Order: sequence, then structure tokens, then C-alpha cells
Amino acid sequence: MKLLWIALITALVSSQAHSEYLYGITGNMAGTGHTWGMNIAPNGSQSVKVNGVFYQYTPVKNTEDSMLVHIRNKKVGGGYIFSSTDDWSGLQGGIPITKGFLIDNLPIELWGDGSIDVEGTGSVVDANVVYSYKYNNDCLTPMSDPSCSGYTDAVLAMMGAADTSVYNPLDDDLITDALETKASLESEEESEEESEEDNDRLESILSSVDNSILSANVVSQNLLMSAMTNMTTMNTYYDKKLAGGTYKETTVLDGGHLPDNAKGARAGLAQQLLHTQMVSQQYELKKDTP
Amino acid sequence: MRTKLLVTSLLLASCAPAHAVDTSISGSVQTRCLITTDTNGVYGNPVPSKLSTASADGGVVPVIRYDVTLADAYLAKVTTPTSFSTSPALSDSVAWTGSTAVTKTTDVGMAGYEAAKVTYGSTTQFDLTVAGSTWFSSESTAVYGVNKSFVGGDYSAIVLAECIAK
Repeated sequence: MKLLWIALITALVSSQAHSEYLYGITGNMAGTGHTWGMNIAPNGSQSVKVNGVFYQYTPVKNTEDSMLVHIRNKKVGGGYIFSSTDDWSGLQGGIPITKGFLIDNLPIELWGDGSIDVEGTGSVVDANVVYSYKYNNDCLTPMSDPSCSGYTDAVLAMMGAADTSVYNPLDDDLITDALETKASLESEEESEEESEEDNDRLESILSSVDNSILSANVVSQNLLMSAMTNMTTMNTYYDKKLAGGTYKETTVLDGGHLPDNAKGARAGLAQQLLHTQMVSQQYELKKDTP
Repeated sequence: MRTKLLVTSLLLASCAPAHAVDTSISGSVQTRCLITTDTNGVYGNPVPSKLSTASADGGVVPVIRYDVTLADAYLAKVTTPTSFSTSPALSDSVAWTGSTAVTKTTDVGMAGYEAAKVTYGSTTQFDLTVAGSTWFSSESTAVYGVNKSFVGGDYSAIVLAECIAK
């Protein structure tokens, strides 16, 4: 259930996420040797994709010698993801050659180590291999994109003080005790000496197991719901404001003098007289009663 | 008879008055040989009587790039300068020397360009037999008189690069 909620949140956020690619080129990867690794991405960058390979080198050889020069990158999982071979056999060396290749945005995860390999007689000098790539750095904050590593942890952390640790029913002593008892009962069942009392007992124990798991699920779901509810409603209450202002008296007393209400006074007096009369009648009735 | 008359009528009806129509033909030729200045040259002045593009003389060698998309169809001709295009008034002669060489290629098949080049006068000719880009550097040196100092001022010269269809 928890995973379902996380997936739901992920889906909602992912509908709003967007990535803007940045572009870069490496330095000379073959500057210090004829093999190199492919740690080309800037720190924090995500979705690095290689979109170009450019190389230059000068072959050193005698014209009559056979010589093949391979510039290539291994592919993770086997084979080569990029390979270019120049056949200098029977050709004059000494003149630099430069080549460029457009790559169809292949993820950096597929690119293994690169190398310049010479087959035959001759060598390569002044080698220069450069990769161009694109990437995004949206994952500097993991919650910015569901594809970022650590996104799920960040979402769980955002849920606040709620205990978001996974409840493992097997860690519950009550349940493990019940399961152990169940196991022993199963062995007893195998020995075919099960009695009616044991049946009742087994049913009771299994019922307690089911109830414990159900209870655990309910507890964990309640915690999760509570955490999510707090997360979504707290800000709403904090941000609520009442319309301000002062309600001033707008009624004005004409002339500033309020005369006594004689009519009201008479009515009130008449009521009082009537009330007094009614009260007095009680005592008069008591007098007449024998 | 009736059929013949009908056919004749149809033939006459189809003989509309003659019209003269001029149909135009247009087309364009896309260049398949492009020349680009990759690096502008700079003269160094290592001694008063000498101007040189050699890096050893404090100059910068001009680099020209030929981009050819059709193999074996063009000749590259590079001519080093034999006079200044702009300079102060000079009263003595200037001795010019120059050379052009392949400095970089994009295809292994171009490795033979340098060996196969033909030089005559101040012009060097290359047969562009392979499609791709080729970089040529063209060094030039000017020596004024006999150990005579160049007159102060600005000097410029031009390297002529041509792409000639075979």
C-alpha cells in the first residue's frame, strides 16, 4: 500500500517534471595514454548521453609497412559501442588525420573504456580524442525529478516525523511466536495425532496471526496516511488568513437625546400589574380552600 | 461514307490553331569544393630584412581548408605571395620564397597528397582524389634587398587558394 502511494506521488510529480539538457565536450581523453575511462560527466549531472566522438592523431610509419589504427570504446556487456579503423598499410605517415562522428545520444552507462590500438608496424603520436555529450543537472535536488537517484528516499524523508520504516510482521514477537506454534502444530498434524482441542487451538492461533498482520497493516497505513495528511494540510492552515479591517458603528442618534418610552413603560407597568395580580390570586385560592 | 465523313470531321476538329510555347529549363550547381581560411597568417620579423610566417620566426602560418564532397574531381592550387598587397613604399626588391604542405586530413586515403603534389613557381598543386577535408599550410618569407631593413609600417600579403575542376 505504501509503495502504491509512493508510486502515485511519483506519477503526479513526474507529470510536472521537465528536463533541459546542457551540452559539453571533454578534454583530450587520450592525453595521458592510449587507454582511458569514460568518467566524462560533471558532478551531479544526470542522463548523460554521448552525441559525438572526434579524434586526431599522427601516424608514424614507413610507407611500405602495414598498419591498422583502431580508435574504439568497449560496450558495457560486450563488444564495442564505437569503433573506427584507419588502414595505413602502404600509405605515408607523418600527416595528422582528424575525424568526427555523430553519435545518436547513447547513454554513458553503455560506454566502456576507450583505447587507441595499433596493429602492424608503426605507432601513433599526438593523439587527441574528444567526446561531446549532453546532460542535465536537475538532480542536484533529488526530488526535482522522479528519475533522480534518491528520489524515493527524499519523498519519504519529506513525510516528516512519521515512522516510515517498513513494518516487517516477522519481526513482531507475537507473530513469530504464533508462527512457531503453528509450525509445531503442523508437525503434530503430520503425526496424525491432532485432536479436536488442537483444532480449536490452531484456528485460534491462525486467527491471531491474521489479526496481527491485519492490525500491522492498518497501523502502518494509518501512519502513512497521517503523515501524508499532515504534509498536505499543514500549509493550508498556516497560510489561512481572515479578512482584516474594523467594523465601525454607523448608526447615528438624531439630536443626541433618547426620550423615555412612555408607551413601553405603560405596557411594562400593565404587565407587572397583571403579574402581581396573578400571583396574588394564588394566595386567594388557598384562602378559599377548606 | 458516313463513317469517313465522321472521321474527317473529327480530324478537322482536332486541328486546333498551332501555338508556340517556350519551356524554360532551370537548374543550379551546388558547389562540391569549398575553401575556407582556417587560420590567418601573421608575419614575424626575426631580423630587420626578413618577414616570415614561420613560427620559429615569430609568425603564424596560414592554414587553408578544402572541403570536397566529390572525389577525384578537383585540383587544389595554392599560390604563395610574390608581392605585398599593402606595404609602405619600398625602394628595393623583395625576394619571396614559399611552400605549401598538407597538414591535416580527414581520410587515410589523403595520406598520399603530400607526396604527389606538384610545385611550379610559387604554386603548389594537389590532386584531391578523396572526398573529405584537407588542411594546407602555406609558409612564405620575404627578404628585403640585401640585408636591408624593411621600412616601418604595415605589411600584408595574400595566399591564393583555388579549387579547379578537373
